[in-house]
Amino acid sequence: MRAQAPLGRRAWVTAYLFLAPGLLLFLVFRVYPLLDGLRLSFTNARLGRAAAAWVGLANYQRLLDDTRFHVSLWNTAFYTVASTLPILALPLALAVALNRGALRTVLRSAFFFPFTLSVVTVGLTWLWLLDPVVGPFNYYLRAAGLPARPWLAEPALAMWAIILTTVWWVTGYYLVIYLAGLQDIPRDLYEAAAIDGAGAWRSFWAVTLPLLRPVLLFVFVTHIIGAFQIFGQVYILTDGGPGDATRTAVQHLYETAFKNFFHFGSASAMAWVLFAVIAVFSVLQFRLLRGHAEY
Amino acid sequence: MAQRGVRRRVDVQSLLLTGSLVFLAVLWLLPAVWVLVTSLKPTPSIIRLPPEWIPWPATGAHYYDVLFSTSRTARIGRAFLNSAVVALGAVVLVVGTSALAAYPLARMRFPGRNLVFALLVGSLMIPNAVVLVPQYVLTQRLGWLSTYQGLIVPEAAMTFAFGVFLLRQFFLTMPAELEDAARIDGANAWQIFSRIVVPLSQPVLGALAIFAFRSAWNDFLWPLIAVNRPEMFPLPVALALLRGAYQSESYGPIMAGAALSALPLLVVFIVANRRIVEGVRLSGLKG
Repeated sequence: MRAQAPLGRRAWVTAYLFLAPGLLLFLVFRVYPLLDGLRLSFTNARLGRAAAAWVGLANYQRLLDDTRFHVSLWNTAFYTVASTLPILALPLALAVALNRGALRTVLRSAFFFPFTLSVVTVGLTWLWLLDPVVGPFNYYLRAAGLPARPWLAEPALAMWAIILTTVWWVTGYYLVIYLAGLQDIPRDLYEAAAIDGAGAWRSFWAVTLPLLRPVLLFVFVTHIIGAFQIFGQVYILTDGGPGDATRTAVQHLYETAFKNFFHFGSASAMAWVLFAVIAVFSVLQFRLLRGHAEY
Repeated sequence: MAQRGVRRRVDVQSLLLTGSLVFLAVLWLLPAVWVLVTSLKPTPSIIRLPPEWIPWPATGAHYYDVLFSTSRTARIGRAFLNSAVVALGAVVLVVGTSALAAYPLARMRFPGRNLVFALLVGSLMIPNAVVLVPQYVLTQRLGWLSTYQGLIVPEAAMTFAFGVFLLRQFFLTMPAELEDAARIDGANAWQIFSRIVVPLSQPVLGALAIFAFRSAWNDFLWPLIAVNRPEMFPLPVALALLRGAYQSESYGPIMAGAALSALPLLVVFIVANRRIVEGVRLSGLKG
């Protein structure tokens, strides 16, 4: 049921009066910056430079030779790929387990809590936990007879420490989304599966996963868009180091525009390259997972 | 008899499952507990190994330090105030503009409606990092760097489209009869909106308010570049700078600041747990 106000000029004007404040906000602070960023990427704009000159594709051309940018893209891709499985699977496993068991609300809250924290608080927490000398993480590893490592100072390990931190932060968020999706699956489908002799494992693959497809798609796309823009964890935990081992695309963009060079033109070119990469991935994911009709 | 045997096995299974989930949940909360414990310890015992999980004798010195110290960096008290102003301002702006915009998009027919809605939904896919530099240029040109409005307005613009999306979904489900009755009684669109639609939408407006509060309170990247006067830093930026200001062996003040920054959302989380979860659920399902 929908109420539709009568057509006519007055209704028309009324509708846009309601829309006006929000549209103004949206056009000035979202649409305009998006387009202006594209324009900036073709100029030599810098912080404090009043008149920027048009330089054509020079910023994009320079990116082809910017090895640091390549490394940062590679790091971002590595982070995105390596974090996808834990972030898709762990909350899903927890959701399936919680969905049946007792204490659902309390346990859900426990896992959700870290998601209420800012990325800075999360980063500082893990910086302290992973402290190579006095941090409890290494202490308990040693106590269990496992090798203690300077997790954030070893190039091969630092990105995994960032992934661990992120998993701790966001698992509860995806858990809540999965749980909601599970609640929407009709009970009788499981009963039917049980009558057909399917065990828990079988009915997970045959009932839960296929019916969770739209939710999985949402989680997948949300995660990928977020992962390509990872910044806060890196900034706090490693500042891109050791060396360039954890320098991600947005970290590099931030440094180019606001820390080292104040070069807005080339930072804008980076932003649009990143945008293009994210757009391609999002379309691919939709293609990949949309396949079947939703139930 | 056979049936009872099956039930007992199932009971043992679910008990084991619940047990391991409880264990995992406790493990999950330990990092946060560790922050709190550290913040209450006197400095010498913070770095003592093995880690001491009971902060006794406890001290509030680190809290006093970060809240009231006049030192150059530890201005957490002021930052707390800044964050509160920015987050509440963003909540008012987001909830107000989203509700106003979502109402005609859900309940009126007018030219351009589908285009406007498609634009808003499409913008949800724009990565924030892409507009960072031009948004800085714009804010600078407006003279809004290091001001509250320079934090509030871009923050609200970031959440606006999502808010419209969320509220429109809810407005679509409202029964038409209420509006029709009001219209027959001579109410105009504004009266219907403010006296019928808004009061009936309290839960979803609350969910959006919490969502907007959380993203403004916790945002880091935008204030990191848009504020360069220390007295205007919001909490995440002030905390990030605390990190550099103290030696690594002095985690006390840093952890006190971290615990303080978590406090408002913890309170909201305890009071309005259901609403937060509902907000996340709504945001996820129709994505």
